[in-house]
Amino acid sequence: MNYQPSLPEHNDNVSHQHPVREFIILVSGVLAIVFMGYWALGLFVDVAVDYLSPEQEAQLQTKINIDWDWGEDVMPETQAKLQSLVDSLQPCVPLPYPITVNLVRPSENPDMINALAFPGGKMVVFAGLLDAVQSTNGLMFILAHELGHFKNRDHLRALGRGIVLSILTLLIFGGDSDFLAATINQRTANYSQSRESQADQTALNALQCHFGHVGGATELFESLQSQEGESDLGFAHYFSTHPELQQRIDNLQRLAQERGYSQDKTQELMQH
Amino acid sequence: MFVSNIEEIPGKTITTCYGIVSGSTVRAKHLGRDIFASVKNIFGGELKGYTELLGESRDEALDRMKSQAQQLGANAIVNVRFSTSSVAAGAAEIYVYGTAVTVE
Amino acid sequence: MDSLTIFLILLALGFVFGKLAEGRHYRSILAREEMLLRLPATSCKKPMGKTLPVGHAELVHGHVVISVDYFKQLLASLRNFFGGTIQSYETLLDRARREAVLRLKESCPTANEILNLRIETSSISKGNSGDRVGSVEVLAYGTAIYYREVSSQHSGL
Repeated sequence: MNYQPSLPEHNDNVSHQHPVREFIILVSGVLAIVFMGYWALGLFVDVAVDYLSPEQEAQLQTKINIDWDWGEDVMPETQAKLQSLVDSLQPCVPLPYPITVNLVRPSENPDMINALAFPGGKMVVFAGLLDAVQSTNGLMFILAHELGHFKNRDHLRALGRGIVLSILTLLIFGGDSDFLAATINQRTANYSQSRESQADQTALNALQCHFGHVGGATELFESLQSQEGESDLGFAHYFSTHPELQQRIDNLQRLAQERGYSQDKTQELMQH
Repeated sequence: MFVSNIEEIPGKTITTCYGIVSGSTVRAKHLGRDIFASVKNIFGGELKGYTELLGESRDEALDRMKSQAQQLGANAIVNVRFSTSSVAAGAAEIYVYGTAVTVE
Repeated sequence: MDSLTIFLILLALGFVFGKLAEGRHYRSILAREEMLLRLPATSCKKPMGKTLPVGHAELVHGHVVISVDYFKQLLASLRNFFGGTIQSYETLLDRARREAVLRLKESCPTANEILNLRIETSSISKGNSGDRVGSVEVLAYGTAIYYREVSSQHSGL
């Protein structure tokens, strides 16, 4: 028996595909599955939310009690006035549960112009909004817009989608809480454009029902639009998920025309 | 290619020896099969998915070993041994090695 | 977002340094395999030169523990999800086994032949959860024989 020393020319025990290529293929596969899962579950949430009866919705609202720390109660009197404004809108936007208004001024961004609808019938109004609107009608439109989110159950949809998203991120990142919290916070007040314009529509109807005209409906959007170039006090952030301002104004005006809503003089904003 | 796990290929004479050749593979089944297997684990019985997985892995490892032997110019592999290990959880890892020889 | 940044940094570090280490290791393996080619290692139980008297025989072994890098570990877990060949572990195992055999041969450079070479793989950790390392340990062992009359220069057999 002879010994013939030799080595194989190429290595058959390893694949010669480039790892980066494999990585890209696998990651895009995972992302595709995740997006499909998110889309399907989101659709399921939408359907489930539509099937809820008003009683179930009211019951659900009382069970969810989110207690976020938005800073100190800065203006209790103004908050009470806002509450009465919201209550006066109730006959026009009927809801099976009470809405409580929280007026907040976040310390890190005191001039933020925003209002949010949270599960549990909690409406959060940022103090910056009161400085940005000129008339009661303009303010009422924003409040009615948030009531519209409640009426359309958008906050429940957002909550459901938030839960779906957190479960998915939990599955992928294995309970990476930092990342999770960031995504959930981002998602809670994040509605799609169609949801926003639907809420705008509800708000326009509520304004007509309450005042008998829709003057001041586009007031905030117009003033934001004129300010937009001058500074960026966080409007860009708030309106990133909202339809383009001009588009929103156009939609509202077209809708008002279609329904024959008139635009009368607006009321002076009460002092706060 | 003759392959055996004894010292020789019966009926043939070994003329040249080339040294050790080996083939290895690490393979896994997709998540669905893993989940199914863990459910099946409750009731017991054959885990068909994993049987298949090990079979495929073994075939591939053997092919790789044979290809290596061919590159050396051998026409048989004697004293072949299989070994397994678990580097990745849920994956089958098969290693097969033997001595590449020429027989006549 | 911090954890995501750390994750991406680890991924990039794993990819760059893992690739460098692998290239270096393969170059070293190929050079040493070439050098030690004169020392035959077989899985057979009898010496190839049956007529030569054996001076002495001893058990020799070589072992190595090699770890996979962060990038390849992620690649492996992704592949585990979809099924198929886990390519990122192939080079790890290949390197570990060749290194173990090389170390075995280097431990007995004057031997004439290594018989009944066996290679065992064991894993210290499986690397399926983030806090543990995915590594592989390979042990190669066999019997080195030294012929009495023949010097190592004439190991043509």
